[in-house]
Amino acid sequence: MSFQDIEAGRSFASRRNLINGKQDPTQAVASGIFQINTAVSTFQRLVNTLGTPKDTPELRDKLHKTRLHIGQLVKDTSAKLKQASEIDHNVEVNASKKIADAKLAKDFQAVLKEFQKAQRLSAERETAYTPFVPQALLPSSYTASEVDIGSDKTPEQRALLVESRRQEVLFLDNEISFNEAIIEEREQGIQEIQSQIGEVNEIFKDLAVLVHEQGAMIDDIGSNIEHSHEATAQAKSQLAKASKTQRSNSSLTCLLLVIFGIVLLIVIIVLAA
Amino acid sequence: MGILYGMVARGQVVLAEFSATQSNASVVAKQILSKINQGSDNNNDSNVSFSHDRYVFHVKRTDGLTVLCMADDAFGRIAPFAFLEDIHKKFVKTYARAILSAPAYAMNDEFSRVLNQQMEYYSNDPNADRLNRLKGEMTQVRTVMIDNIDKVLERGGRLELLVEKTSAMNSNSIRFKRQSRRYKNNLWWSNVRLTVALVIIFVIVVYIILAFICHGPLLSSCWR
Repeated sequence: MSFQDIEAGRSFASRRNLINGKQDPTQAVASGIFQINTAVSTFQRLVNTLGTPKDTPELRDKLHKTRLHIGQLVKDTSAKLKQASEIDHNVEVNASKKIADAKLAKDFQAVLKEFQKAQRLSAERETAYTPFVPQALLPSSYTASEVDIGSDKTPEQRALLVESRRQEVLFLDNEISFNEAIIEEREQGIQEIQSQIGEVNEIFKDLAVLVHEQGAMIDDIGSNIEHSHEATAQAKSQLAKASKTQRSNSSLTCLLLVIFGIVLLIVIIVLAA
Repeated sequence: MGILYGMVARGQVVLAEFSATQSNASVVAKQILSKINQGSDNNNDSNVSFSHDRYVFHVKRTDGLTVLCMADDAFGRIAPFAFLEDIHKKFVKTYARAILSAPAYAMNDEFSRVLNQQMEYYSNDPNADRLNRLKGEMTQVRTVMIDNIDKVLERGGRLELLVEKTSAMNSNSIRFKRQSRRYKNNLWWSNVRLTVALVIIFVIVVYIILAFICHGPLLSSCWR
């Protein structure tokens, strides 16, 4: 009994250690691949902007920074993947973990291939098109509108403006600026949605971790029930044997009483005679 | 807060307006109207925004008709300009050529109700903007997922309880097995003792009978 207790405790502790050991490198690799995916999507969106009127030196600079960021992420994730692979070779752990790591490696290669394709397309377009230098149209129109506002102040209107407090003008007088403002606001909304989707993704990952841990608990419950079943079956067979022995015991007791009775009868007959 | 004031004008002539709160929005709107029309008449079909304290006045000029609204500065730009577009379409469809010759406030009795309805719609209804609706849906998804996390945690607690109970059941069944084996052994030994007793009694009875037949306790006559 004490030996079996020690065995059960040891297996449970080793299982817990296995779960803890599995989370760090594999989860880190999965997280890294997800970040690379997001960064590659951003990079592709920037590449699609090349050759359009919004192709500016700032865009080129942003493109360059994004490329460097993706390179750094790829380096980090590659190191983590190598570490996870070494763990797989070193300690012969679960087959399911090896399968998960192989799948992560395949995903990583797919992301790398997609990034290389986007990078090649970016190089082609960067050489084909020159950046669109924005003209001095907007500042001049803005200063012109300011001059108009200054020239409007007749004494009556000045008094009226004072009564209606300070009034500031954000003048978007052409369609392009207006549409850019709308697009910027829309982009902000979309980025907020993206961050919420990221949060939901984190929640799903936490849920997966919880469900996995509870799977281990259910395995424990299953093994406990199986052991109980075996012990109860053995107890049942022991009780069956006891029942058979008890039946034999009863018949022997009857036989003993009969013999004792006969002996007593003989003794009485002898004494009487 | 949303859109608080709406107005439709031809040139500087106000045709219809509606205000959801008591404020000087009408006065400021007329100033903006005069400022816009004082500029060159060449810049038709424009979209502009003026900020005033905590509010922003969004103005849309199309084909000589000006639609204006006042909104909270946190309300953004997409919904107010969608509102202006919608009001412009409704106004043109409803009054068509009468717009060109109508006197001031001619359509105010009828159209102020439309302005009120559309202000309510674009301020409060999430369907007015697809992005806002998507944000709402993502918020709902996140709420549902947080509920799921709570339920899974509760399930984890119950599973821990079940692990403890099945461990106890395992221990009890092992003890049951041990006790049943002990009981079986006790019965077996009792059976053995009974058999030995029977054998002894049988031997004694046979001895007594032989003693009587052979005429002596030492069985002297049967040995010879």
